[in-house]
Amino acid sequence: MKSLRLAMAGFAAGLLLLGGPSGQVAAAAGAETVEIKGEIIDTWCYLSGVMGGPDAVVGSAHHTCALWCAAGGIPVGVRAEDGTVYMVLKIEGEDPLAPSDTILELQSDSIVARGQHYVRDGVNYLVVANVVSNDGITNRNHEDFGVVPDFAIPEKK
Amino acid sequence: MKRIVVLLTAASCLAVSAAIVTAEDFSKDSKAGTFGLSGEQKAMFSGKVVDILCELSGDCPANCGDGKRNLGIVRASDNKLVMVSKNAQFEFNGAADDLLAYCNKSVDVDGLLIGEDPGVKAKVYMVQLIRLSGETEWKKAELWTEAWKSRNPNATGEGPWYRRDPRVVKQIEKEGYLGLGPKVDKKWIAENQ
Repeated sequence: MKSLRLAMAGFAAGLLLLGGPSGQVAAAAGAETVEIKGEIIDTWCYLSGVMGGPDAVVGSAHHTCALWCAAGGIPVGVRAEDGTVYMVLKIEGEDPLAPSDTILELQSDSIVARGQHYVRDGVNYLVVANVVSNDGITNRNHEDFGVVPDFAIPEKK
Repeated sequence: MKRIVVLLTAASCLAVSAAIVTAEDFSKDSKAGTFGLSGEQKAMFSGKVVDILCELSGDCPANCGDGKRNLGIVRASDNKLVMVSKNAQFEFNGAADDLLAYCNKSVDVDGLLIGEDPGVKAKVYMVQLIRLSGETEWKKAELWTEAWKSRNPNATGEGPWYRRDPRVVKQIEKEGYLGLGPKVDKKWIAENQ
């Protein structure tokens, strides 16, 4: 009997390594309520390196591009102080690609977000119930990097 | 009893091995364009298009959120949820418009897995080509700009969409290109342009 239990545990562990037998089972693992302190970022430029290193594609330097990407339907995230990136799936009751100003108003801001945290297959997801505090843009990195990309501010004609 | 133990153990080992093998094989036969992005890997795979929040929480509006939700693909070979962050266009475009027609359907996709930042322990996906499973013809994942035009019929003027998008224009008018207010913009532009 002990051997059978061990084998079943091994089988279950194998399934878990595969990401769970189905999405529904993974969802059943549930979420935890968290409070995350961090910066709202454009996740594509941050993860892909398409515009430069991670320090250049956040903050004031990258703010206009971050607005473009959010309006363009690219997932927005919260980069926590420890570097963990949380993909935002909902914010204050709104879906992230809804045609409203909520996400754009928060882009590049340093915030504390309270909400539900999910993890699946290596990605952290966050359903932001409310923004507890907002310090605005505190990362004034345009002083180091200029604007990223360099055409973000149109040339005067 | 011994036979059951052996079978379960073997099944577990096979399942893990299968996941490792398929993870190594996603680039096989891929025709995706490459760009030298961080952690970039060509990846062609099959799976089901899902509303990510629905998949995680059971909060499931009709039609995968009708374009308002982040969508992903539950990969058939290993049941992993892959976040689709980008379509094949080069103007800051996401992929929801390209995936929405396939909500909860099985598709084949070709594109790039990207990312190697320690803050995200998985890669996200740029979909370049998509087709319903079983079809032979691929479609380019480039619907976003046309969809934007239909959503913003009054966004007139010249230039790319991101210079004319009403929400972006409104935000920049309010807080400037740097997000720090028009005065900071003015000073920086005077000193740097």
